[in-house]
Amino acid sequence: MTRTLSLLTATLLATAAHAQTATSVRLGYFPNLTHAPALIGLERGTFQKALGNVKLDARSFVSGTTLMEAFAAGQLDIAYVGPGPAINAATRGMPLQFIAGASEAGAVLVARRDSGIKTYKDLAGKRVAVPSLGNTQDISLRHILKEQGLKAQTDGGNVNVTPVPPADVLAAFAANRVDAALVPEPWGAALEAQGHGLVGNEKTVWRGGQYPSTILIVNTKFAQANPALVTAFLKAHADAVAFLNQKPAAAQAAVNNQLEKLTGQKLDPRVLQRAFTRTRFTTNLDLGALNEYAALNVEAGYARSVPDLKAFVKK
Amino acid sequence: MTITSPLDTAPTTRRPSRWRRLLWQLGGLALLLALWWLITDGLHLYPPYVFPSPKAVWTEISYGLWGSGPQDGKLLAAIGNSLRRVLIGYASAVLLGGVVGLLMGGWRPLRDTVGAYLTGVQSVPSIAFVPFAILFFGLNERAVLFVVILEGFIPVALAVSGALMNVPPALRIAGRTLGAHGLSLTTGVLLPASVPSILTGLRTAWSFAWRALVGGELLVSASASLGAQLEVGRNTANMALVIATILIIGIIGGLFDALLRAVEGRVRRDYGLEVAQ
Repeated sequence: MTRTLSLLTATLLATAAHAQTATSVRLGYFPNLTHAPALIGLERGTFQKALGNVKLDARSFVSGTTLMEAFAAGQLDIAYVGPGPAINAATRGMPLQFIAGASEAGAVLVARRDSGIKTYKDLAGKRVAVPSLGNTQDISLRHILKEQGLKAQTDGGNVNVTPVPPADVLAAFAANRVDAALVPEPWGAALEAQGHGLVGNEKTVWRGGQYPSTILIVNTKFAQANPALVTAFLKAHADAVAFLNQKPAAAQAAVNNQLEKLTGQKLDPRVLQRAFTRTRFTTNLDLGALNEYAALNVEAGYARSVPDLKAFVKK
Repeated sequence: MTITSPLDTAPTTRRPSRWRRLLWQLGGLALLLALWWLITDGLHLYPPYVFPSPKAVWTEISYGLWGSGPQDGKLLAAIGNSLRRVLIGYASAVLLGGVVGLLMGGWRPLRDTVGAYLTGVQSVPSIAFVPFAILFFGLNERAVLFVVILEGFIPVALAVSGALMNVPPALRIAGRTLGAHGLSLTTGVLLPASVPSILTGLRTAWSFAWRALVGGELLVSASASLGAQLEVGRNTANMALVIATILIIGIIGGLFDALLRAVEGRVRRDYGLEVAQ
């Protein structure tokens, strides 16, 4: 009995000594509305407050690809990322855990005003932009095409699916380089404000809008070594989500400030407001939707098998 | 009394036979594979998402080339598309380069101006032209072809004009004496005399065009291509696919180069520039 107790104490002491080894938390995110909890936590300083003496080192990325590359190289501890890149990375054995949801829906399909595209069917023979090949919107688009009996050129069809970073989509539309785009907010609302037409809204893109567009992941080793830091960060994340849901007007102003710091440009408040109505913020992880998503990933040809996502979810 | 010429008895230093060379090459390849296996599956020095094992890469190659699932055969489609593009681009580059080279070879002011600029353009990596090509032609195959032709035609033009300049004066004089002038001198004497140097230019043009193609496809990855496969591999954290694609790019590039090298060697022997073994 005493032996068991002393062993237990030793284990507890070891755990305590093991915890809090990090001197900084390296956070990855994008300057998109679907990453609003990250923008809010940064703008309001809640992340740093929650971490106390541990320094927050926040880095913004333009796509899930570059973010996951930094993650694979061990340069990020916690990241806001789309389920597409996260599921792919988990499938390949990257040490990560899904720890919370961040946003749902928030992606729309917009067509250039003179492209002649009114419905999904009209995408045949057109050029459609997605943020990057294999990302969340690309996989959604390939599913839409399949439901319409269409195919991407890479799969032997006639829809030209082309990667364009969301921030460049406005320029690509202006230069007639693409006919349509499946983009996360606020880029969809920004395109609409320039007179381009909405073909699919956040609800018709997939699952009636009941799907995660951004989730929070953590490096498994970091989580094991710093459980208290992860808990503190999760609490700050929940605060940011609550702020987004309870004080939308203040949240929009905060998001706009942070976007301006990152991109040098402020969005028209009306654009941001419209983008907000199409995005839901939540800390819930919808495992069912994630599993369906992994199946779509296989359908799109980006993976060969559906991984057991339960193994990656930390409760 | 028989006189033996020293030539008859001289020991012949023979190059290692073709089979022996092949054996060495296969041995080297096996060693490389063994080392690769040791680093990955053997000692697990790197996680598989950073450096996959030979087995994982082979799986990607086999799915991509002869797999039977609905999403299989993508590498085959990619190879087909890339080859079609590079052949169109290379053929256009050779044609264009030939014409420009002939003009430069025949007219000194052109050589001094355009020739000098072409050398400058050649020093710019092809990937640097891709953003321009995208804005000019759009996100499509024409943008890729533009970069391939631009990269391919310069070595051909420079080789043709350089070869014409380096034809021995004696041949030129002999041609003139025999009554060849202008066009007939160029087609009858100067060009045939330049063939070996031009072939070297064609081989350089091939490697430039092939590299430009993959670079262009990587940035304009809309339709199936080797460049798009690299991008998809990168985007889906599938390093095995990335390495499989790199291997295929290297093998195709190397095979074409070997083919052109064989033609070049044959021609050089026929011209008496190399002694047959």
